Amino acid sequence: MNPLSTEMSVRVSDVTVSYPNGNVALRAASFALEGGAICALVGVNGSGKSTLFKAIMGLLKPAAGTVTIAGRSVKAALKENLVAYVPQSEEVDWSFPVSVWDVVLMGRYGYMNFMRTPRAEDRRIAEESLARVGMLDFRERQIGELSGGQRKRVFLARALAQRGRVILLDEPFTGVDVNTETAIIALLRELRAAGHIILVSTHNLGSVPEFCDHVVLINRTVLAAGPIAEVFTEENLQRTFGGVLRHFRFDESTVQNHDGRAVTLLTDDERPLVFGKGGHVEYSKRAEHAEILKKRTESEGDD
Amino acid sequence: MIETLLTPLQYEYMLKAIFVSAVIGGVCAFLSCFITLKGWSLMGDALSHSVVPGVAVAYYAGWPFAAGAFVTGLLAAVGMGFVKTKTRLREDAVIGVVFTAFFALGLLLISLYPSQVDLRSIVFGNILGISNPDIVQVLIISGVTLVVLGFKWRDLLLFCFDPNQARALGLNTTVLHFTLLTLLSATAVAALQTVGACLVVAMLVTPGATAYLLTDRFGKMIGIATSMGVGTSIVGAYASYFFDGSTGGCIVTLQSALFVAALVFAPKHGLIGQRARRRAAALGAGATEVPS
Repeated sequence: MNPLSTEMSVRVSDVTVSYPNGNVALRAASFALEGGAICALVGVNGSGKSTLFKAIMGLLKPAAGTVTIAGRSVKAALKENLVAYVPQSEEVDWSFPVSVWDVVLMGRYGYMNFMRTPRAEDRRIAEESLARVGMLDFRERQIGELSGGQRKRVFLARALAQRGRVILLDEPFTGVDVNTETAIIALLRELRAAGHIILVSTHNLGSVPEFCDHVVLINRTVLAAGPIAEVFTEENLQRTFGGVLRHFRFDESTVQNHDGRAVTLLTDDERPLVFGKGGHVEYSKRAEHAEILKKRTESEGDD
Repeated sequence: MIETLLTPLQYEYMLKAIFVSAVIGGVCAFLSCFITLKGWSLMGDALSHSVVPGVAVAYYAGWPFAAGAFVTGLLAAVGMGFVKTKTRLREDAVIGVVFTAFFALGLLLISLYPSQVDLRSIVFGNILGISNPDIVQVLIISGVTLVVLGFKWRDLLLFCFDPNQARALGLNTTVLHFTLLTLLSATAVAALQTVGACLVVAMLVTPGATAYLLTDRFGKMIGIATSMGVGTSIVGAYASYFFDGSTGGCIVTLQSALFVAALVFAPKHGLIGQRARRRAAALGAGATEVPS
């Protein structure tokens, strides 16, 4: 069976992973995806997100349950170069003496001979992959000499060069500029259109509905999985994040009527920072800032 | 003058010592590039001490010393892996406990049967007195190591750089792990002959560390490290004739001197280069802040 012609799929059924010290990182996790799809794995740190990732990559053996990729075992899928992986920036040693070109060629190892000598075909594909992420001009650079966004693109090019049909990205937008983020999202959409399955591990909730069509919510198990519209609901996110996710309730906040609905909301993935119409900071607890409210009411003649 | 300089070369034992040191120095330096990048320097130190009981036993039993050394070296490596996964101890503590246990056992064995092996030659090396069968063993180890590294350096490089990617490509990282570990024990045994158990780690780390300061390219790193290993071993062994000093001491002192030179003068990663760049950056930032 030629993997390029078959429908891509990832099936995780009843996977339980425990560590040698007895901690169960993930219990009876199940979900299934058909290509093409961009699916977010969402959960807090320590929820078992990266454990699930590792199980799909074959880095961890499930104590129970199975993972199949295109109907094959993980091991067989890896042998066919079906699974490509883009590591988190923190996991890479950026001072390692390798160039951009070296890294992208590493994606081709699975196709090379015993000595991993690149053939003309490997070079062509590596070049093409670098061009596709706009990094061809940087091929001779040592990887540490790149910006955050460029680094991410190089590793994405490696995944492209590998011709993986299931691509796993770990926190792809951390330390990445907005332009690169847009470029990466555009590329992921192209890959989805070509039938690939993209799995993105993230705790950046805001970006999920922006570019994903599926989501898997994780907290020690899979709480819910499916299309964004059905699964990415407030109730499900409450269950996923428990008390960890922070709210900003307008009716309890210092936002007043004179602000209308025009507030500026700035947020990373932590607490949102909200500014009122006049550019003043809004607090999430109305009760704790009675004196500010009073002052603003007086000056504005507000209610 | 020239006659004096050529004197050491008139002795067969000196020629042998220089030749064997050069081979070992080169092989160790080649491997040192992987060891420094993998972060296994401490492991190299541990293994070089752990081979001592094996060498002692091999001498009593009349086996080739490399066989015995090899067995205890790998036993120590496996032991460290075992203790690390089964306990809550940190890696440095595990390495510290296991290798000293092996080394102590080695010292004990040698002191119990002093006539069989010379403690000094194991701990400090005795390249000037190396026997022909030992030379053959060293050459075999070096040859095998070079062949394995020559064929598999790209896999090992990926294993050092990004083991997860290696796994994702379907490479067997367990095999790569043990390949590197085996090469490390084997070269540690070979280097034992030249510089002794105490200084083996220098041969397995210093050239790689020095080259790493001088270049950002792996290919060049191997070139620099290997020439440094061969060069310092030849010069060190030769010079030790005149000092009448320890050969291992000479070689490693030379290597350390080159390391210090690289630390100070390396164009990009050296102390002077770094300071110049910081100053340039500070000036550049200052210039842009001046309002036009």
